[in-house]
Amino acid sequence: MLKNKLNTRLFVTFSLATLLILNCFSATWDVPADQKEKKSYIKFDKQTSSQGEVLYNANCASCHGNPGKNNILKSLNPIPPDLSGKSSQALSDGDLQYILNTGRGLMPNFKNVISAEDQWKVISYLRGFNPNYVQELSKFDPNKSKLVKLTAKFDSKANILTVMALADEKSGKIPIIKAEIAVFVKRYFGNMQIEKTVLTDNFGKAQVVFPKDLPGNKTGDLEVLVKLFDENYGEVQTTNKLAIGVPTDKPALNEKRAIWNVLAKAPIWTLSLYLLGVFAFILLLLYLLNNLRKLYNSKTI
Amino acid sequence: MLTQLKIEKITSDLLKPIRLTKSFLIWMGFLGASLLVCLFAYFLQLRDGMVVTGLGDYVSWGMYISNFVFFVATSLIGMLISAVLSLSGQKWATPLARIAEIIALAFAAVAGLVIIMDMGRPERLLNVFIHGRIQSPIVWDVTVVTIYVLVSTLFLYIPLIPDLKICSEKLEKLPPFARNLYKFLSLNWNNTIEQKKLIKDSTRVLAIFIIPIALAIHTVTSWLFANTSRAGWDSTIFGPYFVSGAFVSGCAAVIIAMYFFQKNYKLQDYITDFHFNKIGQLLALVSLVYLYFNLNEYMVPGYKMKLAEAKHLKELFSGSHALLFWSTQLLGLIIPIILLLFKKMRKSGPLLIIAAFVLIGSWFKRYIIVFPTMEHPFLPIQNVPLNFKIYTPTLVEILVTIAPMILVLIIITILSKIIPIIPIHETIEQLEELEENKK
Ligand code: HEC
Repeated sequence: MLKNKLNTRLFVTFSLATLLILNCFSATWDVPADQKEKKSYIKFDKQTSSQGEVLYNANCASCHGNPGKNNILKSLNPIPPDLSGKSSQALSDGDLQYILNTGRGLMPNFKNVISAEDQWKVISYLRGFNPNYVQELSKFDPNKSKLVKLTAKFDSKANILTVMALADEKSGKIPIIKAEIAVFVKRYFGNMQIEKTVLTDNFGKAQVVFPKDLPGNKTGDLEVLVKLFDENYGEVQTTNKLAIGVPTDKPALNEKRAIWNVLAKAPIWTLSLYLLGVFAFILLLLYLLNNLRKLYNSKTI
Repeated sequence: MLTQLKIEKITSDLLKPIRLTKSFLIWMGFLGASLLVCLFAYFLQLRDGMVVTGLGDYVSWGMYISNFVFFVATSLIGMLISAVLSLSGQKWATPLARIAEIIALAFAAVAGLVIIMDMGRPERLLNVFIHGRIQSPIVWDVTVVTIYVLVSTLFLYIPLIPDLKICSEKLEKLPPFARNLYKFLSLNWNNTIEQKKLIKDSTRVLAIFIIPIALAIHTVTSWLFANTSRAGWDSTIFGPYFVSGAFVSGCAAVIIAMYFFQKNYKLQDYITDFHFNKIGQLLALVSLVYLYFNLNEYMVPGYKMKLAEAKHLKELFSGSHALLFWSTQLLGLIIPIILLLFKKMRKSGPLLIIAAFVLIGSWFKRYIIVFPTMEHPFLPIQNVPLNFKIYTPTLVEILVTIAPMILVLIIITILSKIIPIIPIHETIEQLEELEENKK
């Protein structure tokens, strides 16, 4: 009996210790070596920093607070670090971008929310709080992405979108191999990814299977976003309007007359009740004023 | 002959208060000075913005809105006494009709100002007219309050026309411009049969129409709350609940006014114990109706205890607002009802004290309806300083709340100094009718 209790106690202590240790470990980020080394191809300057500040305030400040201002959302667990602090600044540019693209627990992943270029701008803003920081630019030439030709073709029988990624190099059109292709459909609030991110094959080709029941607009059009990401060619995206959705004709919530709509689209019943009331009042007023007029004139009679 | 004498006495008695007296000047001086202090507080609010108040993101409706509801409520009494009672042939209320109408007009007119005082940027009131949507209860409220003020003015003015003529003829030591103004406003009143019929018809039509208008103004005010889905407001009986509560505070206001007019204007022959007894009964009646609505309003959600409602009701019944809640309900409603059942309590002195408790209770009742709900939103309030979550009015806010009360007293005092507060013409008519019946 006693032994049992002791065992339980030991077990609890051990578990707590493990948890604590795990917790400590989880404060570091396992960033793959190649990601760690990544560097920005944009030069960090005043302009990128102030553009980054706008993005930071819109996407990050709610949790991380304003750098150095100690207004972090402390009720989260773990508490989001002040990104201008020492430990966060010790992370490499690549680390930071990796964290933004993967997220962890309460730290959201911004991969499909903030473009790579904008992510570098946020990082540029954060680096402004670190006087010791010296930027190393990546060798990547952003002009290379202008060479990319992305085409998307839809096979309506098999419901497959085939993406071809070619680069217009001087030596002629060459396929972009092993580039990440992510396909999205525009929805009301942001983009919805179709299937998973796939890699292009040796011909620069990648395929994504579409579901058959995606609601489109009245004529069934869907706005399909194809994003390519490649080490050499950077980030490129195209938008195509494809008539591959299910035609849906749901009037928008603000199309019909409704309580929540603008004045011009007020429901008939509200309009008529209101106007009827005001009209009745005007009649009453006219009747009374006429009586007063008669009263005033009646002396002479 | 005797009748003629009586008529002259009535006229001179009722006209007597219309003159400048020392006590009037002192009273007005006091009111004016207090108003200035409160206006300074309002100036601070205009200069520095709403940060000078205890209002914020979460509790954005506090003392000011409670005050607004209280003012609209009290103004409803004009409709009850001058319209409902007179249409139902309750003759005893005749001498009180004008007091009720003055109170109605003063409170309704100032209610509009109270709303503006709640705005950090009052010049944006114009936006209600430029961008207002007919679907919004706020627009309905602005509309009906304006209509009610206009109709109340006419309801005060039209029966007053014969008295204005009497004023222009009988008042002594009147500066000529004032005499001319009385004369002008009396619209050639000559006591002809046709004129009498015109006044009678107009008053009757007004008395009928002011009932739906008054109901509308307070029902719409209640919809400002009930049309939002929030704990403590999301109720289908808010309209009648507010209207019945309005009669309670209005009756109390009339009793207090009656008391002071009787004493200061020497009207003991016109406002008698009989009237106090009657209006005491009326107060008991409307309070009982209000109690009944209170029972419904708290019993139904209290039985179901839905999540947000439960939190709200617990705070009221036994939590941080319990003291305020129970003292308001007991001192402002339940104990007065019990006391009012006794005839001894319906004499002028005790009734004044009861009415004062009821009136103050009515104010706090609105306060309790407004701000605790704001402290209990459906989504929990997180990560904000304590003073965002818990509403505490500031001194500036309290002073700005008092300003309209002073303004109402000023309006009532001035009106009672320029028009006879007991209708002379109607009192004489009633007397003549009485004599006619005797013969
Ligand atoms: C919903 C709240 C939230 C938002 C929004 C958010 N973060 Fe975070 N962030 C966190 C949390 C919580 C952590 C700690 C996660 C952990 O350690 O597991 C974190 C960690 C980080 C880290 C790692 C820092 C370190 O020193 O370990 C970085 C870098 C970071 N966030 C950047 C950002 C940026 C940039 C944005 C805006 C684009 C952002 N975060 C938006 C909650 C958030």
